[in-house]
Amino acid sequence: MTPGSQPARPLEAPEPAPAARAPVKPAKPIRDWPGVDLLDRYPFVRKVLKWRPLQFWLIWPNVLFFAAFLYAGLFGSPVGSRNVMIVFVWIFWWFLLIALLVPFLSRAWCTVCPLPVFGEWLQRLRFVGVRSGEGPKKQRTRMFGLNLEWPRALQNIWLQNLGFLCLASFSALLVTRPIVSTFVLGGMIVLAVALSLVFRQRAFCMYLCPVSGFLGLYSMTSTLAVRVKDPTLCRSHKEKECLLGCESGYGCPWFQYVGGMTRNNYCGMCFECVKTCPYDNVTVFLRPFCSDRLLKGYDEAFKAFIMLVLALVYSVTLLGPWGTVKDWANISEVGNWKGFGLYVLAVFGLCLGVFPALHLAMTWLGRRLANEPKARLGDSFVRYAYVWVPLGLFAWIAFSVPLMAVNGAYILSTLSDPLGHGWDLFRTGSVQWHPLLPEWIGLVQLPLLLAGLYVSLSSSWRIGRELYADSHKALLSLAPTWAFAATMTVALMCFFVG
Amino acid sequence: MALEVVADVARPRARTRWRTAAILAAAVGLGAGAGILLFNTSGPPKDRDITIYAKQYSFEPPIIRANRGDRLHLKLVSLDVVHGFYLEGYDVDAEILPQQKNALVRHPSQGDQRVEQEEITVVATQTGKFRYRCSHTCGALHPFMSGELIVAPNHSLHGGIGASLGLLVGFALVVRRREPTAAA
Repeated sequence: MTPGSQPARPLEAPEPAPAARAPVKPAKPIRDWPGVDLLDRYPFVRKVLKWRPLQFWLIWPNVLFFAAFLYAGLFGSPVGSRNVMIVFVWIFWWFLLIALLVPFLSRAWCTVCPLPVFGEWLQRLRFVGVRSGEGPKKQRTRMFGLNLEWPRALQNIWLQNLGFLCLASFSALLVTRPIVSTFVLGGMIVLAVALSLVFRQRAFCMYLCPVSGFLGLYSMTSTLAVRVKDPTLCRSHKEKECLLGCESGYGCPWFQYVGGMTRNNYCGMCFECVKTCPYDNVTVFLRPFCSDRLLKGYDEAFKAFIMLVLALVYSVTLLGPWGTVKDWANISEVGNWKGFGLYVLAVFGLCLGVFPALHLAMTWLGRRLANEPKARLGDSFVRYAYVWVPLGLFAWIAFSVPLMAVNGAYILSTLSDPLGHGWDLFRTGSVQWHPLLPEWIGLVQLPLLLAGLYVSLSSSWRIGRELYADSHKALLSLAPTWAFAATMTVALMCFFVG
Repeated sequence: MALEVVADVARPRARTRWRTAAILAAAVGLGAGAGILLFNTSGPPKDRDITIYAKQYSFEPPIIRANRGDRLHLKLVSLDVVHGFYLEGYDVDAEILPQQKNALVRHPSQGDQRVEQEEITVVATQTGKFRYRCSHTCGALHPFMSGELIVAPNHSLHGGIGASLGLLVGFALVVRRREPTAAA
């Protein structure tokens, strides 16, 4: 297995060892990559993460807030800027998620996400405790439901890609109409519960949740990672509690084997493995930005394309001055089905056709320049797609800055008047809309885009050096893709400040 | 094997890292400076009469281009419901009522007092892109109703483009210098 790789598909459960468990003593770190073992440095954090009710107590307040938002979506003001559902979810949460949680805390949102939790509680028939016993697929915990395997052909993130594109097509409705947000988010809960009764563990999160797709992709950049300290210990340890569960916790709900985990993509940070590992070998590392650099498969590469292109599309549709495009996207009010069809066609065409074709052309040209005919084009296509991961993340942060700065005043007013019914709970209900330093927004966006370009260049350079022994060939193979990345950066700058 | 997988490239030592950072900073700075200097031009200032029509959820014209020093005489007209006109960076906020000739204008830095005016005069002293936004809730897409005033020379854009190109060239030079080729 190459450095940084990790099985994308769920692992088959290994045979549990009949032998008695070896004497338990904490593992010592032998990692050779830079990173700070947070649980070693701060033992109380390990105690907190091993505390079984932790996730329950983190999720409960979130569930209550979420229920309140759903209620506000149904019974509050239909005007988005006066409804807590729109203001807190699509302005506050979105900014928090993309600008802080993902880059610094990986998939910490998945730790507290209320969408799949009802299904998980139903599967476990417990809020906190563990139902030990013989479970499905050699699990050592009992699970309610059919516990079927997710179809092998769909064990990838293509459904998440398509789901995200479909939601993106209706984004002008989703982020402005409270009722639409309520039905979409509520529908996702219903779907997650239904799937949890049919398929085993978190199939919804792993294969369907549209948010999970981009969280997984961008968590590769994160400075936080759940990993094992000593992978050799995991290899020699046969019981695999982290995968199969034990009395102290469930097997990984995301089907991941933490002992072989080298990427953040599919780790939902539920910390069950921290609880189940008898050797305390699982820990949380603080590490450099963009430490995971291996994209595996076309589904992940296309996710990177989709996310970058959508940052551009939203910059045109939502932040841009062109009324025609807004009218096309605003189908429920304007009713221009021809325009909406064109808009959807453009979104799908750019994300799945034009941009990947340009990336392919640049990769092919790079291979020609490097004069390495033996190099497989498909490998380079997927590996070099990583260029768009940091650039896409920074583009999304840059896109979200004006959302927060310009519309942040609505957070204060909806805090006091969440339903838009004229309440003034915290005396902030009458706060007038006033953008926060709008003339400085561009000067924040420019360095963000430049930082994104720099991280893209440096990360892809490491990838190029992994693929080509000769640095000159690596540089030549990357040159067209880098030029394309710089062009996309300039395009984003044109939309933001041009 | 089609592609030779090479072990992870060793991280540069601290001194090399600082030198690299200095070269890249210089490249970005030079690029930005060159971009700003090359496009540091704008036409002579003049007076422009512009009527801005507001309708759900856009302004017409969507983009106003001006030169530094231009005097913009803005007339605001609403074609449907009550709209606002908040011009970033120029301390102007107006309420535009449908079928009304005059707008209710205020200067946010001077309080909430509004004055009825037929025309708003803005002298384009600041350069770059400034959005004018609807400041009166007018419907579902209200938060995204905006237009753009672009005052030349746009240093932010030209500096940004120059910095991007500088970063690209600087980075290529740095890695080429740092990593010897197999032949060497």
